[in-house]
Amino acid sequence: MIPGGALMIFVIVVPILLGLYMSVLTLDQYTLRQWLSAPFAGPGNYIEAVTDSPLLKSFWISLSFAVLSTAAAVPLGIAAALATQNYFPGRAVMRSVFLIPFVMPSFVVATVWRTMFQPDGVIVNGLHSVGITSGLWLNGPNSYWTLVFVEVWASWPFIYLLALAGLQSVDHDVHEASALDGASWWPKLRYVIFPYLKGPVALACVIATLNHINNFALPFVLFGIPAPDDVQTLPILTYSTTFESFRFGLGAAMAFSSLMLLAIPLIIYVRAVKLDVDEGADK
Amino acid sequence: MTETTTERSYRAPTRRRGSRQAEVTRLLPNGILVVVLVVVCAFIAIPLIYVVLSSLNSDLGVARGEIIPSSWSLQNYADIWTTIGLGKGIANSLIVAGSAGVVSAAVALATAYVFVRFRFFGRVTIMRGLLVVQSVPGTLMVLPVFVVFASAGSYLGITVIGTLWGLFLTYLTFTLPFSTWVMVTYLRGLPKELEEAARIDGASNLMILLKIVLPLSWPGVMVSAIFAFLLGWNDVIFASVMTNSDTQTAAIALQVFGSTQQNGTLPLYGQMMAASLVCAAPVIALFLIFQRYLVSGLTSGAVKG
Amino acid sequence: MRRTNKRKDSMETKKTKFAALTSVLAITALVVTACSGSSVTSSPSVATNPSAVTSSSIATATPTPINGAGQTLTVLIGADGKYGAQQQQWFKDVSAAFQTQTGATVNFQTFASGSEELTKIQTSVVANQGPDIYVVGTTFTPTAYSTGAFVSLTPDDWNKVGGKDKFVPADLGISGPTDSDQVGIPYTSGPFVMAYNTDLLAKAGIDKPATTWDGLAAQAKQLTGNGVYGMAVGYKDGFDPWKFIWAMSRQAGNPIISGKVAKVDDPTTLKAYQTYFGWLTTDHVVDPASVGWNDGQALAAFASGKAAFFPMSTTSNIPTLKTSAVKDTYKFALMPVVPPGATALPAGGAGATSILAGNNVVVAKYSKNQDLAFALVKYLTDDANQQVLFNTFGTMPVNQTTFTAVTTSNPALGPILDSAASSVATPFSGAWADTQLALMNVVVQTIPDLSSGSVSTSKLQSLLTAAQKTAQASLDKAP
Repeated sequence: MIPGGALMIFVIVVPILLGLYMSVLTLDQYTLRQWLSAPFAGPGNYIEAVTDSPLLKSFWISLSFAVLSTAAAVPLGIAAALATQNYFPGRAVMRSVFLIPFVMPSFVVATVWRTMFQPDGVIVNGLHSVGITSGLWLNGPNSYWTLVFVEVWASWPFIYLLALAGLQSVDHDVHEASALDGASWWPKLRYVIFPYLKGPVALACVIATLNHINNFALPFVLFGIPAPDDVQTLPILTYSTTFESFRFGLGAAMAFSSLMLLAIPLIIYVRAVKLDVDEGADK
Repeated sequence: MTETTTERSYRAPTRRRGSRQAEVTRLLPNGILVVVLVVVCAFIAIPLIYVVLSSLNSDLGVARGEIIPSSWSLQNYADIWTTIGLGKGIANSLIVAGSAGVVSAAVALATAYVFVRFRFFGRVTIMRGLLVVQSVPGTLMVLPVFVVFASAGSYLGITVIGTLWGLFLTYLTFTLPFSTWVMVTYLRGLPKELEEAARIDGASNLMILLKIVLPLSWPGVMVSAIFAFLLGWNDVIFASVMTNSDTQTAAIALQVFGSTQQNGTLPLYGQMMAASLVCAAPVIALFLIFQRYLVSGLTSGAVKG
Repeated sequence: MRRTNKRKDSMETKKTKFAALTSVLAITALVVTACSGSSVTSSPSVATNPSAVTSSSIATATPTPINGAGQTLTVLIGADGKYGAQQQQWFKDVSAAFQTQTGATVNFQTFASGSEELTKIQTSVVANQGPDIYVVGTTFTPTAYSTGAFVSLTPDDWNKVGGKDKFVPADLGISGPTDSDQVGIPYTSGPFVMAYNTDLLAKAGIDKPATTWDGLAAQAKQLTGNGVYGMAVGYKDGFDPWKFIWAMSRQAGNPIISGKVAKVDDPTTLKAYQTYFGWLTTDHVVDPASVGWNDGQALAAFASGKAAFFPMSTTSNIPTLKTSAVKDTYKFALMPVVPPGATALPAGGAGATSILAGNNVVVAKYSKNQDLAFALVKYLTDDANQQVLFNTFGTMPVNQTTFTAVTTSNPALGPILDSAASSVATPFSGAWADTQLALMNVVVQTIPDLSSGSVSTSKLQSLLTAAQKTAQASLDKAP
């Protein structure tokens, strides 16, 4: 743990402090080289980020996109975990296959879906052949749903994995007991099995939502930069401000402002689902 | 305290195929089971079929929006090895992501054990801190992490940038918070009785961790390791600034195929699809090998039998 | 019972020990965190001193004959996906040749995309260490210049790379803000031209592509029909759309940035956007699906004979075209040089056939081997290597000798070489990157309207106003 702690400080805490320092500087292409002596901007970058940039809009896009993606992935992940819990021939292969979307690099996933969603691509033509005229999927309001859909496709196995792990902690006696009670499958799941999944799945929701919010590669490859307004998520906005427009200070201020905004719902959630206290300690 | 638990029974039989046993542990009726499997497989398969078909197509064909290739060829599978150092990239990725997976799972197990079984000041705060760290955007960290590594390099006279272990360190710090949380959640669900019994028998903390906690928590350990592995496997931002041509990872190497460069060349779609399938293969194989550890070590008899 | 209690006690002690250990750790963490706060302020010495030392030592001690024995030069260059194996071989060849020449080792590092390169440059500039030589796109040179992280070339430096007059004069157009203040050394040239399908044109009775944008649109209308479209354009491309806008604006006399003033909301630019979008919405000469195409897909449409013109083409399209359905029926021509709505070049307008496109080489100030770096740049831009680049990768030479040789031996490349000669440099301003992004953003945000078939002037106007604000704000920041 000691090397672990030292490492965390070295690679996480120090860079975060550096980032914090950068966020109060007027740091751009002209001052980057001598960045330590860049003019001090005080709260200027933060004021600009909140009042005169698309930050707040991006924040809502990111948050709602992340929550929706998680909400859609949870039933899928749990169902898949339940389905592969009991032994059947080919289960090992099935479990591996379920992992494929998660294993494919984000940028490949995004390229594939971008090709499929383009105006004369597989999806538009497919929908057209069954009589549905769909508009654009990669620009305009629909692009938001494209992002959610692809994110769910690429990330649901994560929920699946944690649900699967959670299922392993179900005691055999519990199965015996509910068999003795003669409970049919749904009540058994609802009242016996799901309580075991509560912890892992609640955690999976937090981590998955955070990962959705911070997913840069997917929207970047799907939509490119500059991104359509409807899918200008936080990482895209921060990235383009920092690395494309060279406003390093403003970019850092945006990242910290969003971090603060994020921390509040995060802590509330963690407390609400009692993730950070030992509910099981007295068991 | 009547039962004396012997080491042998800590690790209970992992799989029982007896039909009565299967009936008792069954979670879903057959019909629903089949429906779920079919729906999930279809959901996964649709784009995958497209990837496979495209990998057998020409770049022009893919760009034109063909689903079924107008000309079939395995050439892409031959070309990927010479266009970029794909073999080396896969090897580097396996080394970096693999060590990140193993080490973060191991460290997380020990850390989480402390968090779950011991009470001390600041415990909850540290846990929350880890979660906040988990939510720091990667785009914010690139520049500062690079500066820290570069300065450390000049100070200590060691090269960090461009080395595999530098990248490994970076990944570790992003995977540790997550892995710790997973293990905390998992360990909480485990009964204390076995540990307490072992402690009464005079086992040290380390012994308990290795001989009792680890075998019982394989599923959690595996999930932590898999997730940490995949985080490293998929990363593009950090790998792009922290590696050089010799240490570049598969994800970076793959980008060469898909990049739309300013001179308007056609992306190498076919090779990209082929290469991403080839890259996915070792991970799938690894998972096939290790997935049996996802099965519970916790079965009847070990604790209350 | 007693035994159990005793054991419980020992268990408690162990627990406490363990907990104590962890809390010590936590405290250490806090202390180190606090310390690192101060290390932030103390690190200027780390970041700035080495460069100070190196630049002074380089200024004082550099005898002319280069001996690079034991030294390593690192070059950052774009990975060539199309010619991956050839590029690797070329890296080996250059390294071997340079090793023989100077004893130094050359280490090539590649990047896959423009954004990856950008990130790499930025991190290296901040950390004051990284590659010695960067191959950067021409339009990125102004931004590189504005960071002050790259060597501003003295007449002596120019001599070290073989003299300024060995280069094609036009290619020096985007090396620096003035002739005497330059950072970029031309490396390759890649002017934009227009590919056209001779077969389709002949069938429609058109003998050669028009030289005005209005004329081109008229020809395209004539060529559209039977599943063929007049033009192939990628509206969703990440790089090309702004080049159309810039070329049309420049031809109409608006350089987009003039001094400290941005002119993105100028009527000429509005007209340029209207023309560019009009191909789809009013002229109907492009495939409606092209609202989702990138450049590669537009190329694919042209290569399968589904379009008559493919504007914004380069020599790097040749490998694709050579193996396509149009391999015998495609030719290159210059893009129109007369702005939309005009029949002749207006006063103040420039007959820009293309942006000044290609790559420059910049040498990092933090490099400890600057002279060696210049020696390598000399090698890279000398006739021999420029020939190799042309033959292997199809890039146009920047070396005057090579350029002349290539011109005489490849008459088919005439239009490309003509375009190279009449390319016009984009404004040399640190705000160009932002301006370019703003020009692109107008296209991106218009795509939904484009798809629905009409782009209203008021919407376009408001997008241009926003783009103007961005560009002007960026200009105002420049020192």
